[in-house]
Amino acid sequence: MDFDFTAAQQRRYDEILSATRDQLNDAPSESNGHFTRQQWKTAASLGLTGLCLPSEHGGGGLGALDTALSLEAFGRGCRDTGLVFAVCAHLLACAVPVRDFASGGVRDRLVSGMASGEVIAANAMTEDDAGSDVGRLAVTARQVDGGYVLNGEKSFASNAPAADVIVTYAVTDPRAGFLGVTAFAVRRDLPGVDVGEPMAKMGLSSCPAARVSFQDCRVPAAYRLGEEGQGGAVFQHSMTWERACLLAAYLGVMEHQLAACVDHARRRRQFGRPIGEFQAVSHRVAAMKQRLESSRLLLYRGCWLLDNDRDHLAAISLAKLAVSEAAVANSLDAVQVFGGAGYLSANDVERQLRDAVPTTIFSGTSEIQREIIAREVGL
Amino acid sequence: MSADEISEKIGSYIRERFLDGDLNRELEETSPLLEWGVLNSMNTALLLMFIRDELGVAVPPKGINAGNFRDIRSITQMVIELGRPQQATVAGRD
Repeated sequence: MDFDFTAAQQRRYDEILSATRDQLNDAPSESNGHFTRQQWKTAASLGLTGLCLPSEHGGGGLGALDTALSLEAFGRGCRDTGLVFAVCAHLLACAVPVRDFASGGVRDRLVSGMASGEVIAANAMTEDDAGSDVGRLAVTARQVDGGYVLNGEKSFASNAPAADVIVTYAVTDPRAGFLGVTAFAVRRDLPGVDVGEPMAKMGLSSCPAARVSFQDCRVPAAYRLGEEGQGGAVFQHSMTWERACLLAAYLGVMEHQLAACVDHARRRRQFGRPIGEFQAVSHRVAAMKQRLESSRLLLYRGCWLLDNDRDHLAAISLAKLAVSEAAVANSLDAVQVFGGAGYLSANDVERQLRDAVPTTIFSGTSEIQREIIAREVGL
Repeated sequence: MSADEISEKIGSYIRERFLDGDLNRELEETSPLLEWGVLNSMNTALLLMFIRDELGVAVPPKGINAGNFRDIRSITQMVIELGRPQQATVAGRD
């Protein structure tokens, strides 16, 4: 057992950390706070939009663990966690299923475009009445000559307002439950695709999310991902990568946050001494460190199991659960360490808390992760 | 292992794990598991692990389809066929 990074992993981590700090933190956002194409291009130029995509298509060719380490550096270096989330949604929830389930020229074009960042992808799975339960989807895809006609509405599609392609899921056989769902990559410019106004939300504000509706939208069969009825498996596969690798970005956020708390606790003086000398503060910081390190080990192990084609379902759920709940708990602790300053919007810790809250919801809620773990142990 | 034994093992697992252990609940070899909602995404993932660990058969992604998971009989047939050298037929069945 070896807990060290390899030299290549350390070099990649350091390069991404340094580059994202230098190039992404002072870039202007859109007036509505959403990421700009220029910010996206910068992230793409650092290889972040294609980390785990095949190198022959311009990607980094990385496995899950190396992708996670890279995203951890991204999350640590870039203060705009919304942008980090947007890149992760594009890469893990969209590009990964295209990489693994699309075929022929469509796969080549989409993967190359997604790796280079020329193509921005949105993930449209959730519906008003279907979140974790894939079997309740209402959007339908009717087979017609040469393709499918999609009808219905998705909600909460991350990246949709900025997207060029939308990865989505629709019912092709209503009698077959979740095995009657089929996945598609839908070009945004197709007739019948309508993207709604960006939704106002608590955190991850720079990543726009919107409703996506399909009205008699004709999608060529070549844009189907996998076989008909394989959408549930396609989605599970993308969620596996998202749970394993997206959450790694929050390890980076927590690392950055912890360093800020330590620095603040050393400099901030009350009653004649640094507040870090008060056990109430130092033990809170110690708890933050413990959550960070323990969740990191779970995540690295989950990624390692995935890379080595070993049973990883519960291990990745454990990692997702641990990192997300650590992110929320550590953010609350960080606000407390910073006191009144932590409550102010001008400070990072206030935004970090708002950005942490959705971690226990996206990619499968904490309740779903606990359910998977409980069933894995035999309950 | 015979087809009857495989079918019995799969049926017992489904009753015990997904039907609250109600061994008397009506579950035939041809009961439509997907239509009834017995096999949702989570239960299917667990069943796949059971098939791999207890029956020694790894189901490839292409094998996870409505044809193979329609009922206990189709799952049994899939396990038998995947246990043979020629795995392509069942994996692609729809």
